[in-house]
Amino acid sequence: MTSTRTRTRLAVFGFLGPFLALFLATIVFPLGYALFQSVTATARSGAFGEGGGTTVFVGLRNYAAALSDPGFVSSLGRVLLFAVVQVPLMIVLATALALMLDAASARGVKLFRSAYFLPYGVPGVIASLLWGFLYTPGISPVIDLGKVFGLQLDFLGAETVLWSIANIVIWQYAGYNMLVIVAQLKSIDRDLFEAAAIDGASSWQVITRIKLPLIAPAIVLTTVFTIIGTLQLFAEPLVLKPLSSAITSSYTPNMAAYNQAFTNNNYSLAAAESVLLALVACAFSFGFLKLIGRRQNA
Amino acid sequence: MRLRQAAIVSVVVAAVLGTAACSGGSPESTDSAGGGVTELTFWSWVPGVDKAVDLWNSENPDIQVNLEATPAGSSGTYAKIYAALKSGNGAPDLSQVEYQELPGFILENGLVDLGPLGMDDVKDTFSDWQISQSTFNDTIYAVPQASGPMGLYYRADIFDSLGIATPTTWDEYAAAAQTIHDANPSQYINTFPPQNSAWFAALAWQAGANWFGLDGDTWTVDIDSAETLKVAEYWDGLREAGLIATIPDFANEWYSELQNGNIVAWPSAQWGGEIIAGNAPDTAGNWRVAPMPQWDATGDFASANWGGSTTAVLNGTPNAEAAAEFAIWLNSDPESINLLVEGGYGWPAAKDALASTALNQPDDFLGGQNANQEVFAESDAAVDVDWGWIPTTAATYTVLNDGFSAAIAGNGTFVDAVKAAQSATIKALEDKGLKARAGQ
Repeated sequence: MTSTRTRTRLAVFGFLGPFLALFLATIVFPLGYALFQSVTATARSGAFGEGGGTTVFVGLRNYAAALSDPGFVSSLGRVLLFAVVQVPLMIVLATALALMLDAASARGVKLFRSAYFLPYGVPGVIASLLWGFLYTPGISPVIDLGKVFGLQLDFLGAETVLWSIANIVIWQYAGYNMLVIVAQLKSIDRDLFEAAAIDGASSWQVITRIKLPLIAPAIVLTTVFTIIGTLQLFAEPLVLKPLSSAITSSYTPNMAAYNQAFTNNNYSLAAAESVLLALVACAFSFGFLKLIGRRQNA
Repeated sequence: MRLRQAAIVSVVVAAVLGTAACSGGSPESTDSAGGGVTELTFWSWVPGVDKAVDLWNSENPDIQVNLEATPAGSSGTYAKIYAALKSGNGAPDLSQVEYQELPGFILENGLVDLGPLGMDDVKDTFSDWQISQSTFNDTIYAVPQASGPMGLYYRADIFDSLGIATPTTWDEYAAAAQTIHDANPSQYINTFPPQNSAWFAALAWQAGANWFGLDGDTWTVDIDSAETLKVAEYWDGLREAGLIATIPDFANEWYSELQNGNIVAWPSAQWGGEIIAGNAPDTAGNWRVAPMPQWDATGDFASANWGGSTTAVLNGTPNAEAAAEFAIWLNSDPESINLLVEGGYGWPAAKDALASTALNQPDDFLGGQNANQEVFAESDAAVDVDWGWIPTTAATYTVLNDGFSAAIAGNGTFVDAVKAAQSATIKALEDKGLKARAGQ
């Protein structure tokens, strides 16, 4: 009896071992280290720290510094505004594309599915470079074309650049989110559609009464992914930064933390900013899930 | 076949370097692997440096330098070195380091004292002020390579066709900006680069500002001085009048505007000519260089320095001696300097380079003008050599960049950006655990 239980236990750890080791090494430890760094600072003596630097505990000072930095606070505000626009747009677009591909009358489904998904295969940095060319005056054919019609297009201005970034992100991820939803659509039992057809349901009724309720879990999942992804906006603005004077070094929270860590060499402040961003992302993701949960219970 | 061999070699080299790093950088590990040949890794982004390294490698079979072409320092290379220094492995033996970044590396204990490794003996062959920019606490931490004495690059053909005389003062420069923009609304005299505060710092330097100093062990910050504010107000005025472009420099749009003649001048450094030549080759022959416009038409001629860098040996290298030997050769050997001058690396830090190197000759791109002799030699002599940097210069630049960008986007002015940089710089120094105060 005991030996079987021990053996089972051993097997459990044997199977879980590789996962746990990687999880501890790549998630838990770095997270703990970041938390540790965020409450410490380097104390020095002399003009060049000739006395040698020592790491000292400073409590929440780095957090206070981050939250009193108007650049960082406005970067949080900026990604929240971005998320408010981007998340619904992304989800509606992805869902609409998925439903269109799933419609009985759709033609060339495989081709379009691949075409929509293709941008996801382009790394974010490359995508931003490509779009950067289309946004740059003097190089962009789009801007030249606008001029023909008397339009002064400015994709990189203070008012527009955030939405130019949104365009890149949607171009890149709408197809991916669509695919997640398509997968769920495919798993719907086809008998339901047949029954609906016999009952005389229109295609619109099939969508609202059958498809949408049944793909709700996939929509929730892609929404959470999109919330987290938009708050962590980084590569796109970083690549566009040299092209636009509207993008500051702390344009998004991730850029602010990156700048603190790798330009200013202030790892402690960078850690504090990262932790704050993670907290905001957690709050919004779980807040959304809770909201959905309450609706479903009601 | 060749490729495969190269791949194998690079894998072996990587493995060897990895072992060297793991073994705590003991000198034996590299020596035993290379069979008496010392291998040095050198990170640099200077044009032409590859040819100088090739020359060294062919002349010195015992010390082989592996050049790794990196992005410009502030575009990621410094970050990589800082991270490598912090983690204790992965840093190269030597690197290109700009003057303004030296104090930052010293703060992280990242640089090797080069005095005993040869610099004490040869420091007189380098420009005095560049030696002093490389010396902290009486210790020489870098081999000066080049500086960037400033001059005014301008399109002589466009200036001539509009009947504009070469501006000798900043007032005349503003008038020229007006004439140019009035004649053609899509033309501007130059761009105020919102993301390149080093350019603004150089203009403040010319106006007589002295942003940073050291008083005992307390750093002094004087960014919002009258001289700097004067420069900021001047450019605010041109910006508000719509007489300058405000697009980023060193970016595609700017290159395109240089190419199509919409930007017709550039107050820049001696190395700027190669940048224009490389990115607007079709404008060859139309550019000339004039001395920097002056704030005070009657006073002594004042110039400034923009950019400039050193070769520094990084702490943790097992081959500091060989690295120092190479660094000194790279920046003082006439043949090496010739190769670097050809690439457009800047104004040589080695004394008498104008007389003894390829520097002294007419340039076809400038319509046959010998700008180095006519303009930059005098400019180099007129640089205020008391200017110094702080360990957090990058943070100051960031705040200025953000402030300038905000002003261009309609929030505040360049003057506001300067004032914000003053307080932010003191805070950045204190955040590093250093002492700082306002004033000179």
